[in-house]
Amino acid sequence: MSDLDQAIEQLRGCRLIPESQVRELCYKARELLIEEGNVVSVDAPVTICGDIHGQFHDLMELFRVGGDVPDTNYLFMGDFVDRGFYSLESFLLLLCLKVRYPDRITLIRGNHESRQITTVYGFYDECIRKYGSANVWRYCCEVFDYLALGAIVLGASSTLEPTSNTALSSMPADSELETESLNSRGEVMMSTYRPRQRSSSDASTDSRNISPPRDISAAPGQAAAPSRSGAPGTGASGDGNGSATTSRTGAVLCVHGGLSPLIDSVDKIRLIDRKQEVPHEGAMCDLLWSDPDEIEGWGLSPRGAGFLFGGDIVKQFNHLNGLSLVARAHQLVMEGYKEMFDGGIVTVWSAPNYCYRCGNVAAILELGEDASGGGTVARSNGEYGRSNGIVTDNRVISPGRRYRVFEAAAQDTRGMPAKKPVADYFL
Amino acid sequence: MATTCATVSPEAKKPNSITINGFRISTQKLPILKADPIEEMTRKLGIAPPEMIFGDNYVAIEHEKGTWGINFNAFDALDLVDKTGQSMLQVAYSGEWQKSREKTHEGIKEVVKPFDWSYSTDYRGTLHPNARPFEPTTKPIPIELLKRPDPILFFDEVILYEDELADNGITMLSCKIRVMPGRLLLLTRFFMRLDHVLIRLRDTRIYVEFATGEVIREYVSKECEYEKVRQMLAATRDDIPAFLRDPNRLSEILPVVEKRSERLVLGD
Repeated sequence: MSDLDQAIEQLRGCRLIPESQVRELCYKARELLIEEGNVVSVDAPVTICGDIHGQFHDLMELFRVGGDVPDTNYLFMGDFVDRGFYSLESFLLLLCLKVRYPDRITLIRGNHESRQITTVYGFYDECIRKYGSANVWRYCCEVFDYLALGAIVLGASSTLEPTSNTALSSMPADSELETESLNSRGEVMMSTYRPRQRSSSDASTDSRNISPPRDISAAPGQAAAPSRSGAPGTGASGDGNGSATTSRTGAVLCVHGGLSPLIDSVDKIRLIDRKQEVPHEGAMCDLLWSDPDEIEGWGLSPRGAGFLFGGDIVKQFNHLNGLSLVARAHQLVMEGYKEMFDGGIVTVWSAPNYCYRCGNVAAILELGEDASGGGTVARSNGEYGRSNGIVTDNRVISPGRRYRVFEAAAQDTRGMPAKKPVADYFL
Repeated sequence: MATTCATVSPEAKKPNSITINGFRISTQKLPILKADPIEEMTRKLGIAPPEMIFGDNYVAIEHEKGTWGINFNAFDALDLVDKTGQSMLQVAYSGEWQKSREKTHEGIKEVVKPFDWSYSTDYRGTLHPNARPFEPTTKPIPIELLKRPDPILFFDEVILYEDELADNGITMLSCKIRVMPGRLLLLTRFFMRLDHVLIRLRDTRIYVEFATGEVIREYVSKECEYEKVRQMLAATRDDIPAFLRDPNRLSEILPVVEKRSERLVLGD
């Protein structure tokens, strides 16, 4: 068994690895991450996860519900550390898995992956407590600086394969499964369907001169060969401006926080010099900090820093970039996930019973692989949008979305706040 | 789009309670609110509730004879938060942020729904609609009696709301209650620390002497600029970050800005 496999075993048991090994791990991780672009390109199938916040036992529950690495392809949208009691174990395990299976797990940066925030919200203190010095905290912070800022998921299927226990008879005729929410036992809690009538007659109303008929019932093995214009993760693109290429199902952009008024195309994210502490302003800050809100256009947070963005902004951004969905984390939601703006954006939250007291459930989002054989279809993103500036309602089809909702793990009680408060003689 | 919904029925959890000497004390602790109740609360309040909103939680004291009672809940506390934006604070790096923003996005000027996002409240509890009002007093809560190690028959700690101020500190409203054979003490504490800006503590204490039916309500508000507190601590050997997270210790050094005491004696 290699050292790395051994470290993974040890960390899975919630036992830390020696400082020297952490140093080596962080060094290897940095070498790996430096090769990744600001926006990593990920092929479906993939399971998208939100905030973890050092809740190690719940991360184990997440793997139980979603499958293990490398069997399942994972994308974590940041905020691995702070708040919970096991930031070190959680982050180091994810990092080990990243180094061991670089193509099966993607880590992007959250606003908590920062020196300043971790000194206030627990990770720094935990490193001092568990390792006796700030060395490990420093190694980890160096890794944070190399984490990607976002990811693009390509080749997701527009429809879900019904789960085995979905009563097919309950599915409305002429429709297909669009979203489904399952509990941790795999039972269907909620499903939504969309009409199957997405044939070429639909496409005829499409003013754009793009060809792929949107008939998802098309026979597999169609001619459209994958012809992605350059690997999006590298920024290399064949047509000069395209990068977020779309499949018939639009691509999915994953970021921790949200959009930025400085970023109108995915390519602009690629131009950021990301290898630094999270700044207090600018595009990089916005991607990690901003929130969607029920407003029009852009707004300023009443806190005096930070942006809020409305549904029109998401719609336009998705349209210009050939995206069907923005997946983000960053905000606690009681149900584990929350779609907004007609499904144009979703918040995924993966820390159940947040801070060991909120009683919320968590969720992960599974995007299936487009098995219809078409794969990705090249299209220069942004071109038509920029030239005529008209945002039409011709959206690409959103991917089929399966949410797996889970509760907090029954954890051992070491270091946990007592469930029943201890009576004290407060005054 | 067709939607089918299999709702999960929440566990029917009974509130904790104790009845003693003609008083009934009860508490309820449930998870944070779901999306729909949050939306409803937002509509009723006119402001977005805090990130962690324990809207079903409460602590209540009721007198069995008559109609006196007081309870503490999140909605009523939040209803007292300034909704106009007049007493709005700004995070520490706001100046820096605004300056850089002005250069790049002149068009974006509108502050979305301004309100006091620190959720500062001077909530002192919700009285029963027919309760006799309190009257001002100078009589203090008898601390010595509360320092005695009388057995604690009932104890609970209930969070009403909490917000991380988008990682700029913390704001929290929580209640603690302890019931002894002869008396009870309830402390509702609002604690807000906006890093590098301000620390605020607002305590409401309810004291009930069972034998006499005497109820004393005391409200003490303390606050101080963050930097001043840091300077006070710099001279000590304390672990400053830990100190700044601990409202009990902060309470000992923050200056009082307001204090009000009220009293009431419940008859038969």
